[in-house]
Amino acid sequence: MQDKTDIEMAARLKRARVTALIAGGFAVSVFLLSIVQMLKV
Amino acid sequence: MAHAATHDHHDHHGAPKGFFQRWVMSTNHKDIGTLYLIFSLTMFFIGGAFAMVIRAELFKPGMQLVQPYFFNEMTTMHALVMIFGAIMPAFVGLANWMVPLMVGAPDMALPRMNNLSFWILPFAFFMLLSTLFMPGGGPAGGWTMYPPLSLQGESVAYVIFAIHLMGISSIMGAINIIATILNMRAPGMDLLKMPVFVWSWLITAFLLIAVMPVLAGAVTMLLTDKYFHTNFFNAAGGGDPVLFQHIFWFFGHPEVYIMILPAFGIISEIIPTFARKPIFGYRAMVFAIASIAFLSFIVWAHHMFAMGLPMGAEIFFMYATMLIAVPTGVKVFNWVSTMWGGSMTFETPMLFSIAFVILFTIGGFSGLMLALAPADFQYHDTYFVVAHFHYVLVTGAAFSIMAAAYYWIPKWSGHMYSETWGKIHFWSSVISVNVLFFPQHFLGLAGMPRRIPDYNVAFANFNMVSSIGGFWFGASQLIFLGVIIHCVFFSKKKAADRSWEGAKGLEWTVPSPAPFHTFDVPPVIHDDELAHGNTDH
Repeated sequence: MQDKTDIEMAARLKRARVTALIAGGFAVSVFLLSIVQMLKV
Repeated sequence: MAHAATHDHHDHHGAPKGFFQRWVMSTNHKDIGTLYLIFSLTMFFIGGAFAMVIRAELFKPGMQLVQPYFFNEMTTMHALVMIFGAIMPAFVGLANWMVPLMVGAPDMALPRMNNLSFWILPFAFFMLLSTLFMPGGGPAGGWTMYPPLSLQGESVAYVIFAIHLMGISSIMGAINIIATILNMRAPGMDLLKMPVFVWSWLITAFLLIAVMPVLAGAVTMLLTDKYFHTNFFNAAGGGDPVLFQHIFWFFGHPEVYIMILPAFGIISEIIPTFARKPIFGYRAMVFAIASIAFLSFIVWAHHMFAMGLPMGAEIFFMYATMLIAVPTGVKVFNWVSTMWGGSMTFETPMLFSIAFVILFTIGGFSGLMLALAPADFQYHDTYFVVAHFHYVLVTGAAFSIMAAAYYWIPKWSGHMYSETWGKIHFWSSVISVNVLFFPQHFLGLAGMPRRIPDYNVAFANFNMVSSIGGFWFGASQLIFLGVIIHCVFFSKKKAADRSWEGAKGLEWTVPSPAPFHTFDVPPVIHDDELAHGNTDH
């Protein structure tokens, strides 16, 4: 039971890291875009 | 079998021994939540001390206590400390403590990043506050940091670095909350079965990752304008100072909702508990929060009506802003409907929640007045605006945090707080806060500008009343501190696992105080035990 739970938890944590990378990538993109688009001014 | 396995697991992974390992190196969501809450309470008192300086100076017309530049530093620092140091970390602390407990997760998805998110903050605020002691002083151009005013002085780099650190902390915290809610929910805890507080934080976290980088971009451009001779906002070099206002408020307006959406979630937890009814219109509440979050991206220029927008833009931003009243009205209606016919009791968290509903609505109504572009030319930059946003942020956000502290402190500490002193704190706060801020509406309508250390004698009486309310409200918060310290360290009254008779949800199924580890084995979700996420309602 505990082993099964641990395996499931490991899979969840892996998915969580992917989610975090996507969210973090989005945040960095917004930061860079907010400056880059202003360079035309 | 499951129980035995869980028990062994607990034995091997108790709370670390030693202060450094337990608190500085912590990866436990409850300990990090506690750290956030202690930090935010500390900042609340520092920011409050700045407010006391402001109200003392404005007690009478004429220059009384401080120099004008120091007064400007106080208004700027009061805002920065309260927004980024008190309100936001308090909500993150509540999320850290409660979100994993509410969704049946053993911890946040990324515990080490959680530690880093918190420990960045004390350094950021040490740097920000240290500018007050530097030659030339701290920031004094207002929390909005409009150039060229904000670029005067020598502390610009420190302030901008501090803001970058706060932003990084907020973004990492938001990413952690999104990853936790989307991936760590117990089996059976569907999205539309989650408590409204969890929903409110999921939506807030998306707002955070969308707009905090915009603030980071804006202040980075300020930095390069100041030190690297770029001309993003320098009119003499072909730049545009108004552009900064657009970028800032594209961040700034969603930021206002970042400070109020979790409050909506908290109130949506407390009112059903003390009305002993499921929340009225669960799905409507969730969709209303999402609608408000969406609308927050298309209303930013209502902060800039007076700077010469094209007529079409003024009309668009005016109507878009007024549209926010619709989902907000849905929420207020649903809170009242939840109470309607309920078997209500009035413990301290419920009192703060009812005060929230009434006083936040007053702040909402003055917001509707400010949304009217033609009228805003009269109200802009006056004390009417100060009254408006303090009703939203003090009797809104801060009251909801106090309600949350009273509501969940039995779960955190294992003890009940003193209901008598809690009620004394409530009544003292709710009366004084109105003495403090309600006269400011009249001052603003009569034309008193904000951010000034001296004023016309015509405004003397209301300012004196407001200052008395301010000192009273400030002193009232010492009662809050006393109630918390007493509850955590001295209270003899043990809290039950389900500390409130009408409370539902997973967080009330674990012991009080919540053990160091919870839900190592995912809980089984029963629909009748859900807070109010049972969509059959």
